[in-house]
Amino acid sequence: MIDRRLLTHFDWITLMVTVALAASGFATIYSATFTGSNTIYMKEIYWLIIGTVFLILAISLNYSILERFAYPIYGASLLLLIAVLLFGKATGGATRWLDLGFISFQPSELAKLALIVALAKHFSSRAIPPRGLGLKELGPPFALMLVPFALIAKEPDLGTALITWMIFWSIVLTIKVRRRIIAGILLLICAFIPVAWMGLKGYQKARITGFLTPETDPLGAGYHLIQSKIAIGSGGYFGKGFTMGTQGKLMFLPEQHTDFIFSVLSEEWGLAGSLIVLALFLILILRGLNCAENSKDKFGFLVALGISAMLFWHMIFNLGMVSGLLPVVGVPLPFISYGGSFLISSMIAVGLLINIKIRRFIF
Amino acid sequence: MKRKGAKKVKPGAGYLKVRVAVITAVLLCLFAAILLRAFHLQVIGSDSYKKRADDQHIASITVRSKRGEIYDRNSSELAVSIDVDSVYAKPAAIRSPRAAARKLSSMLGLDSRKVEKRLSSNKDFVWLKRQVDLTSEKRESILSIEGINLVKEARRYYPHDSLASNLIGFTGVDSVGLEGLELYYDDMLRGSVRKVEGQRDAKGRLLMYEDADKTTSIEGLRVELTIDKTIQYIAEKELKSAIESSGAKGGMAIVMDPYTGEMLALANMPTFDPNNYRKYTPAKWRNKGVTDVSEPGSVLKAFLMAAAIEEGVVGPNDILYCENGKYRVANRTIHDSKKHGWLSVSQILKYSSNIGSLKVGRELGPERLYRYLLAFGFADKTGLDLPGEASGRLSHYSDWSKVTLETVSFGQGISTTGVQLTTALSAIANGGFLMRPYIVRAVRDPRGEVVRETNPAIVRKVVSAKTSEVVTRMLVGVTEDGGTGVLAASGSFDVAGKTGTAQKPDLVKGGYQKDVYIASFLGFVPAKNPKLVIYVALDEPTGKHYHGGTVAGPVFSAIAGQSLSYMGIFPDNPIDGTVAKKSRPGFRLASATSSDLKLLKDGSRAVREHRDLNGKKQKDSFEMLLPDLKGKSMRAVLRAANSAGVEVEFRGSGMSYNQKPAQGRSFSEGDNVVVWFR
Repeated sequence: MIDRRLLTHFDWITLMVTVALAASGFATIYSATFTGSNTIYMKEIYWLIIGTVFLILAISLNYSILERFAYPIYGASLLLLIAVLLFGKATGGATRWLDLGFISFQPSELAKLALIVALAKHFSSRAIPPRGLGLKELGPPFALMLVPFALIAKEPDLGTALITWMIFWSIVLTIKVRRRIIAGILLLICAFIPVAWMGLKGYQKARITGFLTPETDPLGAGYHLIQSKIAIGSGGYFGKGFTMGTQGKLMFLPEQHTDFIFSVLSEEWGLAGSLIVLALFLILILRGLNCAENSKDKFGFLVALGISAMLFWHMIFNLGMVSGLLPVVGVPLPFISYGGSFLISSMIAVGLLINIKIRRFIF
Repeated sequence: MKRKGAKKVKPGAGYLKVRVAVITAVLLCLFAAILLRAFHLQVIGSDSYKKRADDQHIASITVRSKRGEIYDRNSSELAVSIDVDSVYAKPAAIRSPRAAARKLSSMLGLDSRKVEKRLSSNKDFVWLKRQVDLTSEKRESILSIEGINLVKEARRYYPHDSLASNLIGFTGVDSVGLEGLELYYDDMLRGSVRKVEGQRDAKGRLLMYEDADKTTSIEGLRVELTIDKTIQYIAEKELKSAIESSGAKGGMAIVMDPYTGEMLALANMPTFDPNNYRKYTPAKWRNKGVTDVSEPGSVLKAFLMAAAIEEGVVGPNDILYCENGKYRVANRTIHDSKKHGWLSVSQILKYSSNIGSLKVGRELGPERLYRYLLAFGFADKTGLDLPGEASGRLSHYSDWSKVTLETVSFGQGISTTGVQLTTALSAIANGGFLMRPYIVRAVRDPRGEVVRETNPAIVRKVVSAKTSEVVTRMLVGVTEDGGTGVLAASGSFDVAGKTGTAQKPDLVKGGYQKDVYIASFLGFVPAKNPKLVIYVALDEPTGKHYHGGTVAGPVFSAIAGQSLSYMGIFPDNPIDGTVAKKSRPGFRLASATSSDLKLLKDGSRAVREHRDLNGKKQKDSFEMLLPDLKGKSMRAVLRAANSAGVEVEFRGSGMSYNQKPAQGRSFSEGDNVVVWFR
């Protein structure tokens, strides 16, 4: 399966960027958790090893296999999502985990990739009308997205649900959608917002209002955000130094090793560190787009596009959230945040990007 | 990501390139937004965020260093600081206050309902019990209750309980001196209070006091007293038994070294246990020898005589007519307890004739009497380093009434403190020098370096050596056959002293109360080479005997005899001529030996120095068996060890479970006795 030509076209840049991100992620997780009695950073090492195995697998297997098994994979992911709702492990008011005994696994992470693959398969196997996708063409793929979206939102995991939503629209809009439809959807969203607001849970509403005016409730809804801003802001130009951060370690900053890891990173490494990480993400996503652009087939193009979108939106939502630009929705930062399932799915995603890239000349 | 129109999705096509370019542009815009935000937070807002971060996690707490110990003159601990547990609760974290209260009340000896009430309060933090001794099992089971926690606090502990408590005083729960030496030397004992900056986590817990480890904390200084634990013990014991047998309300016994002014013992009755000072009324905390004044009565005659002899107005053998026991002065009739005709000045003192004394006082005149009494230190603070010293009262001679000269001559119309009397008599004992009394010999830092030292200080010369010699001889007469102080005499030593039986003034009606006395004896031993000046006073003896000579005299004798024996002072007067001939080295006189045995039983050292008949120092060692020190609390072990005269090394805390050497083994001084606790 491994062709010599694969190595000559190997995308070293993407790999190196991934390694750099994962390394800074590990360092930051270590710094954020080493004082505690828990061994979170030790677990992260296992996850990194498992993630690397999946990365290699995702590079090695020709992605055309994915095209063949796109729908079965998608179906399996749905079954897992249903299993979560039925047998999942509840933590902190949400049921997101399947406890496999030795390991806890988050099917919503797999579902994102499965959705990308299913959408790519769907759109690559039919012709796109010149004027763009109409209602008729949008219906089935929308349903493909809506099912996992609803299952994930039910957990509830609004962050991941939002990402699946964004992945769908990124792909669809790139393919081209009829203008009327876009206008209609915008109208629909405007009408839907008040209704959605009514349907949100108390803490979800609090998060959104907290983002708008965090200082009105510094110990309640605004607490996360204020603490995150204090951590980032107190970092200054060059930060407090590795393991010298205070806000995360002293537990002022909740979830400092998962969703709010970037606050710890920029507290300790300052603006300089933030810029480097941002640059790494920019390179990664540009490489992803470049991969899509140069892919040899439509399926590869759509998969690479979907993956780039996924990574991009993860990054934007996470950084927007921790810096107080967006409401607090639990979206982790790829490679940096602690979390096994997400690390594995990110590794697979990057593996697929490299996979598509190195096989662009192989027919 | 935004849309881009293209007719066909075809990889590599030009349309696609445009589309990807648009996507990239959108992407860069959002990136730029994040970048701007990072810049905004980390550069523009940085200072204010830094300040907010610091405000949150920098905690400054005050650290009180360990309070210094108080030692006696032989470095025996009188007050120490030990770490004990204090139990507190965070009521919010307690789910079932009732269940927790039930568990805690039995362990802490508190009322279950009261504990429950505290646990149900809406405060963040409540103390349940501070400074308790807990065994390790109790500690564990307390910690197992959610919301209940322990913190180490230093508690002041007085290993000898009530011994010298009135002069040592005590500290409050926050280790601040409240009474006695603890109060007077609080600044030094307390050590420094330092502000230490550390970190506080979001739950308010304090972390990482690296600073506190690096800088040496300035511990409280150690205070070393002039008090001798054993003499203090002897004084307290004898005072207590005298109070019991005489039915007195209270009393005091003060022992001083006449040549230096060092206080060797300052016993007070009633007394209290400073480990539980709250259980006693504040009146029992008083150090009455320093803080309370009373009329001295006849003991003052000693100073009258000293003044008269120094001024040469009378000699010891001059005779004066004592009016057969009844003499009218102005509107008052002065009585003697016995009818005397002509008495020599020495006899006036020996029989304590008031009439004879007032005649001596008249010879001296008011101005000189007043001047001498002031010179002896009356009506002024002695400067002893204890809080609340009273100065006593003597009005200026120009304000004296027609009878004041006469009454002052025998000790009425003047008020004095016990310490004043002791200090004044020291001046007669030591050849005429009024010393400044003191109770703290040295203040040392935790490494043992002397920070402050008190040396003997002469306040003034009051009388000549000659006068002091003459008066001493007269005072010895008081304790000889026929004298009022004969019971104060010791078989082995010449005792110089003066009895006093002072009437107590009636504060309501004026005049004096009927049959209410302070019986006292003020004297020094050995008369020729004084080692101890001792003042004993018993307040309101109720028995048949109420005279100073009969009630206080024997106490003086007992304290003097045992203390001199303990100090290894060789007797002046071997009782029995045959004893002196048997000059075996180390031979002890019968009287001294019996008090030795008593002493031993009561807790003196196992080895004691004394001089043999040739004047050489000898050491006797008594074989002593080690008591069982196992299964006891620290306090009980200390008590047992003290009464056996053993120095014990403590290991661990809790209850003792092992000792070395074992129970019943003999030991001698210098042996290390180790007791393990858990």
